[in-house]
Formats: sequence, C-alpha cells, structure tokens
Amino acid sequence: MNLWAHEFRLLMRQRLPMAALALLTILTVASLALGIAEVSRQRDAISAIPAAQSQDIAAVADYIDSTKDAGSAAYYSYHPTWDSPSPLAFAALGMRDVSPYILRVRALGLEAQIYDGDTFNPELALTGHLDFAFVLVFLAPLFVIALFHDIVSGEREAGRQRMLEALPHGGTALWQRRGALRLILLWAGLALPFVVAAGLEGVSVGPILAIGALIAAYLLFWVGLAALVSRFRRSSVANAAILAAAWLLLVLVLPTLANVAINATVPVHQGAEIALAHREEVNRAWDIPREDTMRRFYAHHPEWSGSAPLGPDFHYKWYLAFHQNGDESVAPQVHAYRAGLESREAAARTVGILLPSVGAQMLLTQMANTDLSAQLRYQDRIRAFHKRLRTFYYGYLFNDLPFGRKDFDRVPEFDSRT
Amino acid sequence: MPNIDPILISDLTLDYGGGDLVLDGLSLAVPAGSITALLGGNGAGKSTTLAALLGFARPRSGAITVCGIDPVMDPDLARRRMAYLPENVALYEHLTAMENAEYLLALSGERVPVAGIEDALAAAALQKRAWHQRLGGFSKGMRQKVAIAVALLREVPVLLLDEPTSGLDPRATADFNQLLIEVRARGAAVLMVTHDLLSAADIADRIAFLEAGRVAYEVAASGAERFDVRGLHARFQLTAERLAA
Repeated sequence: MNLWAHEFRLLMRQRLPMAALALLTILTVASLALGIAEVSRQRDAISAIPAAQSQDIAAVADYIDSTKDAGSAAYYSYHPTWDSPSPLAFAALGMRDVSPYILRVRALGLEAQIYDGDTFNPELALTGHLDFAFVLVFLAPLFVIALFHDIVSGEREAGRQRMLEALPHGGTALWQRRGALRLILLWAGLALPFVVAAGLEGVSVGPILAIGALIAAYLLFWVGLAALVSRFRRSSVANAAILAAAWLLLVLVLPTLANVAINATVPVHQGAEIALAHREEVNRAWDIPREDTMRRFYAHHPEWSGSAPLGPDFHYKWYLAFHQNGDESVAPQVHAYRAGLESREAAARTVGILLPSVGAQMLLTQMANTDLSAQLRYQDRIRAFHKRLRTFYYGYLFNDLPFGRKDFDRVPEFDSRT
Repeated sequence: MPNIDPILISDLTLDYGGGDLVLDGLSLAVPAGSITALLGGNGAGKSTTLAALLGFARPRSGAITVCGIDPVMDPDLARRRMAYLPENVALYEHLTAMENAEYLLALSGERVPVAGIEDALAAAALQKRAWHQRLGGFSKGMRQKVAIAVALLREVPVLLLDEPTSGLDPRATADFNQLLIEVRARGAAVLMVTHDLLSAADIADRIAFLEAGRVAYEVAASGAERFDVRGLHARFQLTAERLAA
C-alpha cells in the first residue's frame, strides 16, 4: 500500500471529512438534478409553443378572415419569441431564473412589451434556485474549510505533529499529500456528478474541461487561503473561525458591497419606467390630432408615406403608428438603460477579477449563456423579429390590402438563433 | 571511516530568537548500543536538545550530528536514521494497532510484510488480541508498544525518547525498560529525556544532568550497583532547587 492509499484509508475512517464529502456530493447531485429539471421544464414550455401558437391563431383567424382587416390581425395575434437554454444552462441558471425566456409579442409598441416583464419575480429572486453554480460558489468553500482548517493544527492538538514531522515522509510532504488528497476528493465530489450531468445534457468536451478547470481553480483559491491561515499556528477552532469570517467576507459581504457601489456609481432607471414612459406616450396620442401622429411617423418612415390619408373612421395604421412613435420616443431611455446595464456588467467583471466568488459565478453564467449579455442578446433578437413583424403588417395596413386566413401562413416566424 | 558516535553534540548553543540561550555550550555523545538518560529541571533544555537532533531547531553555533549527518542541513536524511517517541504517543484512534504501525512505517519509507509487523508487535509485548483493535481504548503503555514496535521494525541506529515512562504504572515501566534493553542490544543509540531517576538508573548506561542549557554533571554506570541513586537524587534535587532559585 503506498502513502496515498494509507492517507485515503485514514481519511475514510474519519467521520467529519467523510460526512462533509458525502454531503457535498449529495448537494451537487441535487443541484444538478434541479438544474436539469428546470431547464427541461423550460425546454418543454418552448417546445409547446408551436401547438399553442396554432391554437391562438386559429382562435382569431375566423374573425380576421371575416373582416379581412390587417389591423385586427396585427392587434389580436400574438407571436412567440423564446430563448432556448444552452446545453450548459442547467449548471448555472443565472438570469433565466428570474427573467422571461418566452415573450409573446404583438406588432404594437415593443418597449412596453419587453419591459413589462423586466421586473423580476420577487418570489424567485428571493429564494433563487439551487443550481450547480450556487453549490460551487457559495457552499463549496465551506466544505474546503471543513476539510482543511485542521490538517496541521488537528495533528498538533492531538499530540502527533512532532512525531509525524520526525518521520522521513512526514512534515511538509505529509501535509501536502493530505491536502492534495482532500482537494482531489472535493473536486471529484463536484466535478464527477457535473461531468455525468453534462454528458446527459449533451455538453461538448471543451466546456466540460473548462468547468472542470474552473472548479479546480476556485477550490485551489480556498485551499490556498486555508494553508495561509494555518501558517499562523492557531488552534483548529481559531482557524475555522478565521476561514468562516473570510467566507462571509469574500462570498457575501464584499460582493454585496461591490453591487451597492456599482449600482451607486452607474445609476440605471428601471425597465418598468421605460414601459411606463412608453405607455404614457402611447396614451397621449389619443389626445393629439391624428395628423400630427402620422406626420411624425412618416418623417421617420417615409417608405410608408404614400399611404392614403386617414379618413374619419378609426384606422389601425394610425394606431400602430403612434405605438411606433412611442417606441421611438423612449429610444434614448432604452439606449441609456442598456448602456447602464452593460457598464454595470463590465464593472462586475472587474470585481470578478478581485473577488473569486464573483469571478467564478460570472464565468459560469457566461459559459452557460445565462448572464446579462445573453439576456440582452435575446432582446436584440426580439427587436429584430419585431421589426420584421411590423414591416409585414405595415405592408397590408399602409397599402390597404385585405388580410385573410391564408395570410397568417406568411407571418414571419421567430428564429431563436438570429 | 572513523567510528563516530551516532549522537554527537559539540558545544551547541541555541536560542529561539529572543536572545536568551536555551542551549549554552551543550556537548553530549551517545555511543552505539548504549542508553543515555538526560535529566534536568523544567527549562533546562532537554526537549530543545531533542528538537535540535530532529532538525526542528536551528542552532546558533556548535555542531550536532546524527550518524554523521547534520540534521539542520539534511533533516530528511537524518530522520531516516532516527525514531522518536514523544511523551504522549498519540496515534490514530480510528486505525487498529496494525494499521497504525503500517501507516507510520509507510511514512518512514519502510515496506514491511504483515507477518513482520505482527512479530514486532509481539516483540513489543502487545497482547495479540489488541493487534487488530482500534486504538480508542488503548492505554498509554499499549500505544507506546505500538510505537516501539515501529521503531524496532525501522531498525534505526538512533532512538530518541521524551519522558517515555511518565504516567506508566510500575509494571508497564518495567515492560518498557525491557524493550529498551532489546533495542540497545540491537546496537541502537538511545537518548532518553526523563524526570524518572529510578527508571533511568535502572536502565541507562550513562546519566547526564542538564542545567541552563549545558551538561552540568555526567555519570556512567559502574559496578553491580550501577549508580549511586541516593547521591544522584540529592544532586538532581540540588539542580532543580538551583534552577527554581
């Protein structure tokens, strides 16, 4: 039996480290199972879209076909957009936890539709999901502390340190071997279940290796901290207390303070304010001359200016025009909001360089495509789709073309990849 | 190659950084196949002497060698030639006596078959029924027997003992002394730090009294009586009183 096997047997006989390793593995498996279940639920919801959409269109098609009114078609029909989870999303749910991943849009004003859903679901935001990223970033350091706080001090307190250090393979080599074994087992407790889950989810080898390396690097940081604390030759209890305080500081307090500082430095209005401003602008259109609305619309969209003048009756082209005017009136706020969010994310990335907990979390959500950037890219895809949708309906409205049942087949469809 | 003593300390001075010398011109030689008992009051430098031999403390001046190896310059090599038994032999309670022995031997770089370990445990007079028991319920004497069995198996030329008989009952002390006699018979140099004058007089070939970091008095066993225990006791008491003053 070699020294590693002896160390392994010694560890296997110790209740606390083995219980800690078992608990970490159980938490990892549970988090992965919950992540897979959540992503599976989201995939199911997305895969149910075509059938639901067919039902929705069928429900309005008769009425539209009877009126041949493209405006009614634009008003009454919703068109689904969705953000399919990446293969790695199960590991870090990130923004998918609280932000919409399905948005049904109409050809009306878009910004209110996007930002109506911007307010996070407070119940979800409060509790969050137990995902792999949470286990790695928040819980794994506690297990490092449990396994590493007394590697040397425990032997000193048991009266074995000097005897062990007096042996040829004792001393530093022994502490390193013990530390390495515990690190490997902690890594295995996190990484092996992840590899199995990633295999089930069809994740390619590159991201699996990258996350394996990320787990190792994050654990190494905490092991290094534990080794540094053990150099002060304090008691095991003192070591544990110092490391627990460091965990509190590095994982909870400093990231929270950094978040507060970033929010104070980069003030960003809430998306709901944009939705409200858009709604007010749209409502104001009912109180101003319709010609003013159309003049403003044609100034920005001369391609439709050849359309027949408005008659005395209600016409959807006026209605959709003031919705688009509403979108354009809040465009500077939308731009500022997005720029603010991007600035905050850039600042958070800088914090991530200094705080490993923040850095690991950001890397995971970035690789899983569940970070803020992914959410903004989804909004870009919605905007591009909405533009196609508007153009499609405007073609009927501004040219006074009839819209029948068959025309629903020509409605643009959302492509989640573009 | 000259026949040098396995333990050789010459004019050694050592402090722990505070400026006060813990060892102040200590000289001591322990020949092969002999037992030297190092006595002295608290703070006389006994444990520091062992620490210096083990390479845990760096001397300020003087020379110290274990089988010709400087433990400060090459502690790993020196430790291959030494076995050390602390005052309280604390082994792993969740391992059996056999497993503890296997583990300590592995840390010593030794590969010994199970039969060899069993022979050593038997030689150390550990009851057979205890070999495969976890150490949770072992007495100090039983733990020492496991540790001494490991030392026997390592066949090291130097054995360092720190208060080996403190807390042992007379029977266990006698058993332990018998083991030391066997170790000596194998040619090992044994340095035993102790407060137990009677036990030292029973077994040691030489007794050295340490005072203020140097050997104040040294006497070798001679004749049938070996040592004048009464005289040594008086001297030891005097040393302790002087230290206390």
